[in-house]
Amino acid sequence: MNIEVIDHKGKKVLTLSGEIDMYSSPELREELMGILIKKVPALYIDFREVSYIDSSGIATFVEGLKYVKSYGGRLQFFSIPKGIMDIFKFSKLDRVFEIYGNLDDAINS
Amino acid sequence: MKDSLRISFPSHPKYLSVVRLVTVKIAEQCGFEEKIIEEIRLAVDEACANIIKHAYKGDTSKEIVLKYMNTKKKFTVILEDRGIKADIRLIKGRDLEDVRPGGLGVHFIRRVFDVFEYDEKRTKGNKLILIKYLGREK
Repeated sequence: MNIEVIDHKGKKVLTLSGEIDMYSSPELREELMGILIKKVPALYIDFREVSYIDSSGIATFVEGLKYVKSYGGRLQFFSIPKGIMDIFKFSKLDRVFEIYGNLDDAINS
Repeated sequence: MKDSLRISFPSHPKYLSVVRLVTVKIAEQCGFEEKIIEEIRLAVDEACANIIKHAYKGDTSKEIVLKYMNTKKKFTVILEDRGIKADIRLIKGRDLEDVRPGGLGVHFIRRVFDVFEYDEKRTKGNKLILIKYLGREK
């Protein structure tokens, strides 16, 4: 898994690629929580290049969401591939996470 | 005809990607459709992760043995470890409506496999048996 933090017109975007599993999710957690601890109003997560996610990856995002909500911020996902979306739907997390088609839709929401 | 394959690997999470690759190849050879192959990949990955986390308590120096078997009627994956015995009463996963970190792995395994059971006769370690019956929608 690769993680890139991009500043897009003043918005923080976390761009992920590859597989998120038990091996890589601790790194994701560190990066994610490292940004959220600064209480950014919104963090945008780009899933376009994510090829796999397991329960440990999902748990990392649930933890991030709980934290961001604690201070009134937003965690916004976009460009989620179908296979990953199927997993979110099965887990009923598509109702919990903010999910958008692309970054512009997320920013304008 | 009965096809079977046995692999063993260290209980380190870095090898889970290798297990997923092998699992996908085996499932492809069994003729499963793409969606089912993805579900099998996730289920086997979660079962291995559970062994590392619960049976071996994160000890990365132990061994996990995987056996894949395929017949005309069923696809079987057996996972063996020599760690702490699983308490079957505690394995149920969280309510999907109860949004919190963790508790999803068991749901991902049960989603695709028709049988999810531990060999009760095993006195040391665990033997988890996963079976998917062929030609049956789940």
